[in-house]
Amino acid sequence: MSIDLAKLIAYADGELSAGERIEVEAALAADSALRARLEAQKALRSKLMAAFDPALTEPVPERLTHAAEAPREPAPVVDFSARRAARWSMREWGAIAASTVLGVVLGVGVMSANAPMIAPADGGLAARGALARALDTQLAADQAGAVRIGLSFERADGGYCRTFDLAADNTSGLACREGEDWRIALTARSPGGGELRQAGATPEILAAVDAIIEGDVLDAEAERAARDANWRDQ
Amino acid sequence: MSSTTADTRSEIVALLPRLRRFARALIGNAADADDIVQIAVERALMRIEQYQTGTRLDAWLYSIVRNAWIDEARARQRRAKVFAPSELGEQIGNDGAAEAHARLEASDVWQAMAKLPEEQREAVALVCVEGLAYREAAEALGVPIGTLTSRLARGREALQQMLGEER
Repeated sequence: MSIDLAKLIAYADGELSAGERIEVEAALAADSALRARLEAQKALRSKLMAAFDPALTEPVPERLTHAAEAPREPAPVVDFSARRAARWSMREWGAIAASTVLGVVLGVGVMSANAPMIAPADGGLAARGALARALDTQLAADQAGAVRIGLSFERADGGYCRTFDLAADNTSGLACREGEDWRIALTARSPGGGELRQAGATPEILAAVDAIIEGDVLDAEAERAARDANWRDQ
Repeated sequence: MSSTTADTRSEIVALLPRLRRFARALIGNAADADDIVQIAVERALMRIEQYQTGTRLDAWLYSIVRNAWIDEARARQRRAKVFAPSELGEQIGNDGAAEAHARLEASDVWQAMAKLPEEQREAVALVCVEGLAYREAAEALGVPIGTLTSRLARGREALQQMLGEER
């Protein structure tokens, strides 16, 4: 008999053709050990369903329903290839920011009197002070000071972006390199329990990253190389 | 477009219980699972134009949940390298799976699932927990059907060994 486990399981799942079913059933009739394996696999499936099916009857948390229902603008333009040549502009960022469900808090709470870390520049906002220094030089692996760096990546229309956390202000953000500046694309309130999150990994920031990223995020080695090249495009 | 979107939204709401179930099977922790479902729903709505009306919405959403989890697991791996182990707790090892594992629910089935390699776990979750046909599961995972069936067989055999027969 050559009924392997994959075929036996496919039989149990109703995935075999009529001919194969006949073959398996003939083997089952002749082989009690095979029958036992089949029963064990059926029992396993019941066990799996029993373990996870309670999710079907539990009330769904409101935040999930809200995420699906909340009316928002039509999806922002994510066809970046179509305008790869165009310069990245704050207006596009605005579209991404406006499309996120949760409140987007531009600059709030990070304009501390002595050393603002985010300040207006050229009709948008740019990183200054400790934030600018961290974006320039700090790696995700560095022990964090006031600023924690999360993901670094290249965006589809060129240039590097990095996510960050300002722990003291409960603020996360996304900044992208423009010339010698880091333009602040988006900031958001950090959720609680931040120690188990990637810096800057709020849903709205991740969604923005997702919309503009080219390829994968930089690994530690690529991050260091980009930093050492002063975040200039290769 | 907007009425289609409104319809799709209510379909997504109706699918939330199943997305939560799938995420739990995938992640092994109910709270993390809900976070991933939320991220996935937000991503789905940002890319709603990529969804092809008439195709299975659930399969599309499963694949977004799964990709969101892969991203999160990668992020955890990076983070695990960033922080000293003491910051995350002693049980947490070097990678995202280990971190998730440390927060597993105390159910033998959940724990056995979490011990499977990711690609076997996602196959088992889609077929055995979510009840997708092989072809649908293979499409959601972006693998050939033969790959799906062999991952499924290995995953189920491993689970069978871990959970044994309770007679």
